[in-house]
Amino acid sequence: MRSKLVLLVVVSLLIPFHASGNPGGVGNGLEDMQCGGACHGDANQNATSNLQLSLQTAGTVWVGQPAEVTVQISGFDSSHDIDQIGIFLLSSTNANGDIPTTDGWDILSDGMGGSNNYVEYSSIESTTLTHSWILRADEIGDKTLYVSVHHGDNSGSDSGRPFFGVSQAFSITIEPIPENLQRINPDYKPPTSREVGESTELCVQTTAASSVVIEWREPSGSSSQLITTQNGDCWKAILPTATTTSTIEWRAILDGEGPQQTTPWFSMTSVEPTWEADETALLLQSIAHLVLFFGVVILVRKPKRKEDEFKNYLEESI
Amino acid sequence: MIEAATFHVMTTELVVGSFALAGFCFVLHSFFTFQNQESQFIKMMDTTAHVALLFGLLALPFAILSGLESTSSGAHTSPLLANKMLLSTAGGGLALGVLFTRWRMGDDTSSRHLHNAFGSISTGCMLLTASLGGTYSRADSLTEFLPFVKENTLLLPAWMSIIVILLIFGALIVRQTSAVKHG
Repeated sequence: MRSKLVLLVVVSLLIPFHASGNPGGVGNGLEDMQCGGACHGDANQNATSNLQLSLQTAGTVWVGQPAEVTVQISGFDSSHDIDQIGIFLLSSTNANGDIPTTDGWDILSDGMGGSNNYVEYSSIESTTLTHSWILRADEIGDKTLYVSVHHGDNSGSDSGRPFFGVSQAFSITIEPIPENLQRINPDYKPPTSREVGESTELCVQTTAASSVVIEWREPSGSSSQLITTQNGDCWKAILPTATTTSTIEWRAILDGEGPQQTTPWFSMTSVEPTWEADETALLLQSIAHLVLFFGVVILVRKPKRKEDEFKNYLEESI
Repeated sequence: MIEAATFHVMTTELVVGSFALAGFCFVLHSFFTFQNQESQFIKMMDTTAHVALLFGLLALPFAILSGLESTSSGAHTSPLLANKMLLSTAGGGLALGVLFTRWRMGDDTSSRHLHNAFGSISTGCMLLTASLGGTYSRADSLTEFLPFVKENTLLLPAWMSIIVILLIFGALIVRQTSAVKHG
């Protein structure tokens, strides 16, 4: 019997498990590049991704103003079997402390209803993936950004291993904004998400703007204009209610003394209302579970009577 | 200072490891009892199961409290977290009951398998709780085939929980007094 038991334990330990690092993803978040290796347990296990990574900005990047940074990942073809990919926007490749927010950037929108430097796509539908962030730089000068990816790949000789890739450095020049040019207030933060069924009142704070037009659209759809009303430096407009989980985009077109200024498209995601239970009821039910199951174990057992103990004593004495 | 989330990982490892060992030993205890009443492994499995269960139970409060501390919004904001809390307290209650009955009522051969079954169910509750933790933090676990525990929670109103608690305490008191009278 002992040898069988030892055999069972040894066989259990020898059976190799199919292990893969976070196949369900870790969710969007503020992540260092270190996560691209360490999240998979051992960075030495990583295979090099052969996806091509590029990054570009739309137009001039003014200090204190929203700027669109577009990342393009290409090379998805039939030789890859990728069902999920994580994309990092990084300010360095130190593997820690490399989130753009540590290098003077504000992440105003990650295009997915948050303000994260790491986003995940659960499926890839074409050979090229394009994703945009809206950033805001707080100082004039040159800054560097990198794009990085991690993903699985169920094809090729490295099938099943975690793949990691990082781009070359992309230099971005942040320029001083001309005096009296109409602009978005440098402290303005656009909303990035809301609940389904809620309309959204925008209050776009501006400087030196004589009129502001707000446009909105479904992603890549045709745009519609909204009526704005001015209240001090705040230009108000109401974005329509979402009836289902979806993403819309909006932008502001500013007129003033200088040439017309158009902000990047800001994404706003509508999500289902969050689930919430009565905290006290949950706590009480937890206590009730503890008491109930403790009680059940005791109550189903036949009570040990003193009579039985006396009987046992007599039997033992005889 | 160690973060609550890190401490939670450490304590849950202790709880899961201890409960898994206990559950394994409870099952083997029943297996050996079925096979051969005189087997030397019966005593060994019984002792190991109860000691492991006790150790897991001692670590359980730390795991629950650190788990609550490490969520920014609280267990009441997610059905998955609420189920984790309810399952862990259910498993804790079973484990407490198993240890209490062994301490106060001894090893009763007539209910040995029932006792082992409660110990094993307690382990099942803990492993399912840990698995839900994997779903919460990594969106992947061994229990992906149980979608209802991620999306639904059977919540009782507060008054009903209070009635359940009072009923069980009442039943335990009645049983205690009944046993004394008969003795």
